[in-house]
Amino acid sequence: MTDSTDPRRLALSRRDALALLGGAGIALSSSSLASAQERPRRGGVLKISAAANPSSLDPATGGAGSDHTFLYTMYDTLTEWDYATLAPKPGLAESWSYSDPQTLVLNIRGGVTFHDGTKLDAEAVKFNLDRNKTDKRSNIKADLVAVSSVDVTGPQQVTLKLANPDSALPGILSDRAGMMVSPAAVKAKDNLDRTPVGCGAYTFVSWNDNDRIVVKRNDKYWREGKPYLDGIEFAIIPELTTGLRSVIAGQNDFIYSLPPRQKAILDRAKSLQIVTGPTVYCVQLYLNWARPPFDNIKVRQALNFAIDRETFVRAAFAGIGEPARMNLPSSHWAYDKAIAGLYPYDPEKAKKLLAEAGHANGLSIEFGGYTDQDSVQRQEILIEQLRKAGFNIRFGNGSIAEASAAFFGAEKKYAALLSAWTGRPDPSLTYSLMYSKDAYYNAGRGEVPAELTAAIKDSRSSEDQDTRRKAFATVQRLVMENAFVAPLAFQFELDAMSAKVKGFRPNLLGKPKYEDVWLQG
Amino acid sequence: MSDVSIQRPPHVIRRWLASHIAATIALLVLTFLVVLAVAAPVIAPYAPTAQDANNMLSPPTNLHWLGTDDLGRDILSRLIYGAPTTVYACLLAVGVALLIGLPVGLIAGFFGGKVDAVISRVIDTFLAFPAIVLAIAVTSALGIGLTNSMISVGIVFFPQLARLVRARTLIVRQDLYVEAARCFGASSLHILWRHVLPNTIQPVIVQVTLLLGTALLAEASLSFLGLGIQPPNPSWGAMLARAYQYMEIAPEQMYSPGLAILITALAFNTLGESLRVSLDPTSRGR
Amino acid sequence: MARRSTTRIIGGRLLQALPVIFLATFIVFSILKLIPGDIAVTLAGDNATDARLDEIRALYGLDQPFFVQYGAWLWKAVQGDLSRSLLSGEPVIAAIARQFPNTLLIVFIAIIISLTVGVPLGIAAAIKPGGVIDRLVTFVSSLGIATPYFWLGMLLVDLFALRLNWLPATGAKSLSVAPLDAIQHAILPAMAIAAGGIAAISRQLRASLMDILSSQFVRTLTAKGLSPSAILWKHGLKNVGVNLLTVTGLLVNNMLAATVVVEAVFAIPGMGNLIVRAAIQRDLPMVQGVIFAMVIVVILVNLITDLLCATIDPRIEA
Repeated sequence: MTDSTDPRRLALSRRDALALLGGAGIALSSSSLASAQERPRRGGVLKISAAANPSSLDPATGGAGSDHTFLYTMYDTLTEWDYATLAPKPGLAESWSYSDPQTLVLNIRGGVTFHDGTKLDAEAVKFNLDRNKTDKRSNIKADLVAVSSVDVTGPQQVTLKLANPDSALPGILSDRAGMMVSPAAVKAKDNLDRTPVGCGAYTFVSWNDNDRIVVKRNDKYWREGKPYLDGIEFAIIPELTTGLRSVIAGQNDFIYSLPPRQKAILDRAKSLQIVTGPTVYCVQLYLNWARPPFDNIKVRQALNFAIDRETFVRAAFAGIGEPARMNLPSSHWAYDKAIAGLYPYDPEKAKKLLAEAGHANGLSIEFGGYTDQDSVQRQEILIEQLRKAGFNIRFGNGSIAEASAAFFGAEKKYAALLSAWTGRPDPSLTYSLMYSKDAYYNAGRGEVPAELTAAIKDSRSSEDQDTRRKAFATVQRLVMENAFVAPLAFQFELDAMSAKVKGFRPNLLGKPKYEDVWLQG
Repeated sequence: MSDVSIQRPPHVIRRWLASHIAATIALLVLTFLVVLAVAAPVIAPYAPTAQDANNMLSPPTNLHWLGTDDLGRDILSRLIYGAPTTVYACLLAVGVALLIGLPVGLIAGFFGGKVDAVISRVIDTFLAFPAIVLAIAVTSALGIGLTNSMISVGIVFFPQLARLVRARTLIVRQDLYVEAARCFGASSLHILWRHVLPNTIQPVIVQVTLLLGTALLAEASLSFLGLGIQPPNPSWGAMLARAYQYMEIAPEQMYSPGLAILITALAFNTLGESLRVSLDPTSRGR
Repeated sequence: MARRSTTRIIGGRLLQALPVIFLATFIVFSILKLIPGDIAVTLAGDNATDARLDEIRALYGLDQPFFVQYGAWLWKAVQGDLSRSLLSGEPVIAAIARQFPNTLLIVFIAIIISLTVGVPLGIAAAIKPGGVIDRLVTFVSSLGIATPYFWLGMLLVDLFALRLNWLPATGAKSLSVAPLDAIQHAILPAMAIAAGGIAAISRQLRASLMDILSSQFVRTLTAKGLSPSAILWKHGLKNVGVNLLTVTGLLVNNMLAATVVVEAVFAIPGMGNLIVRAAIQRDLPMVQGVIFAMVIVVILVNLITDLLCATIDPRIEA
């Protein structure tokens, strides 16, 4: 399932990296580990089964988290994330520094050209950041909300003036906001949605909606010797089951973000290499706490007590996942153990709380959800679990765009929405986007405690991890004590590839990059 | 031929059934379906939504005769609870089709002239649409869900009934007794009700029986596509949609719901065909 | 009765088809206008302002009265412009041009399968009415009508793709780029929807053959000492050609409908894929365009079969 509610995932720490390496090391088959010593071969076309048609191939105007894996092939970013830690590292920006907490200086790599032959210089970077910040069609204005101005301070240097200290910015520039498009192409066409021009390793060839996206090697790519592949063909196959079938049958070489239940199939298909790793993708119930019945804290808490998260993970994720107690997984550096025990599975307590809230005879409500089979399965599990605590849930389902808009938008339909949060480059964004008074993902634009708002602000004003961790602990405690959300589970990444695919590494973001991938002859 | 009496004494029906073995079996199957639909809570060994995370995708056992599904729910129980869904869906769709089709057909056939010309054009146009495609579009307009999708199917089916009723009405209208009734000054409504409608009933019964089978297939298709029934209510089509997800791991999940649909649709069709041979004068000799 | 010239016949039939096409557009357009809620809200996405909503409404003409919207759509449609998808922004006509061939190839192969299997079955059944073959054919054709196509598709995938690995399980290839590949991909879905076609053709053929065999004309021939199979061969088949053509024409409609569902099983980017996605997401122009294109094909096929019938049997006035 693609998640529309949020396109980004958040950065994790070294501890996650260790967890990841452990997990992936075991999961990777021996043949692919052996490949680490082999010399990459040039040539060949990688065929990928992709689950969703992109919303747009212009990083500024798209809105789906599933777009990134296409975008990464054609656009390079100002910063890049470390595969294992998601810590920002140099990309198109060779280096950066905060000259003071409200000034970020980026030094741009020289000698990089866009696919249309124009140069990547400070002017081009300023053009992109201004466009992302202010263009009418930009979907990522919020990412750069802290940036008050972008100045060209050298041929290859830009300086970002910040409205308030924002230590999350380098991470943000590894995402959509940092993807550089050709200013010349934008000026010529005004719309790159379907004709992307970046400076990435691959150039755009064609896009047939819901069918196929083809990119080919950028011969003038700035990284010496890269890419290895002649090109990549994405076949868009929305049903992941069907997509996996195509990989097993050899029609495609690679498929990513498989639902965990496919593990049983993967284990049986011996010719495939399997890749797994933890991610920060959180399946959760968004609540509208500005309106009955969830305006009552007791009802929200009852909901949290009524969910058997262990069983949920077992039934919906075949055990390949982690019960979610807050918006961060247990391996995250900002995770706070003390909060994890707030809501053990306790249907009796839930019933009692419901009764105290005036729903002694049970409570009938309508939730929103999506129509795909994975979503429907999760709904069925929840309906049954919640029924035992006196919640009588009905799901009104629609497409992702429709149900999400109905719940978060002006209509304010449904008491809750079963969806997911894919995370942000920095946890502070995750919290401010869901738990600020006027945040879009605060569906009811409901009131939040002043100390929560203050704690979120604190978490962004320091670069010191310990200070930030304390601030995040406060944020999470307030969010969960108020039960503004009912987190369910963190999903794990599950990819499958044919034996000839070499050099692929999973990342914590769960959005595959193919920069090191090559094909065995 | 067209004046076969409508009220038949029971022994005629019995004799008819005796000479139509296939129809008898079909009727038994459909009776069984109705019994299941009414008595599902009594018959089913488990609640259709009862989940068991320790027993998912289990093959048939003593406790679960048809095994369990991806959430550990008893497949047999879900099949049984699929019966009320099926009956409701089929009746709703065909009911809507009748509600629109009967009056439209009667009016077109009885009044003739320009009214008929316009209505016939509309009917022709509707028939040019591939049925399920139009049903999908109407469902998208009304909103996803079992009731809405079956209303859509009914809307899409009405032209078939309307055309049939119109054709019969045209014939009946020529008959002397309608002319006679008209001469005596009976109102149009009265003539339609007393003389025309009874004479269209037999072919309509045949068509309705066949449409029930088609409605079942339409329900299964729409639920399979995710436009029909919504969780957690079981429907055979929705069961197949889920089974499709587990085809590599547990292909046997798709056998029983598919067979249930097949057998029920076959029963409707067989009964309909047998009735057609006996009741519909226009198809005699085929 | 004087025979009219072919061009006049075609012209006349086209004129008859026009109001149907026109009515079809009107029906589709009015049905989809029943959609409650405001599509602009969905389109605007996150953090939409009222100004943005107005902008979107104006962009798609959603602020206009019904008949103005319809008129505008029709006027553009006549010029070959079915407007753009609300979601991807792609011209609807381009999406249809890309995906319809996949669907048509499946329908085409399904018709060929239906004919090659259905015709011999129908003849065999008619030669000895009530015989073992007849009963068997009747039974199989009953099954063919009652089987959910998508279920049959699943069974076929399970057997031929997953267990035997003979044919690809999913997807489609372009006929112009890789013809053999394209046909391979289309075979399983075509088989799934051909079941109904086989049933319809064998039934219809059996019935019309038996009509002829029981007719006065044939009885005379039998009296002259011709064997039933000789009669069938010489006189029967020619006469049932018209019947067969008519059934085949009607089948195209049924099969287009069946493909819509079966495509989901095989993940084929065809018309079914387009319309199901568009219907769930309420992408109106796309739904309108897809149905419109299908109706046009159905009407054209009807037209062609009528004309062919008239050619085969001049007694029929097209």
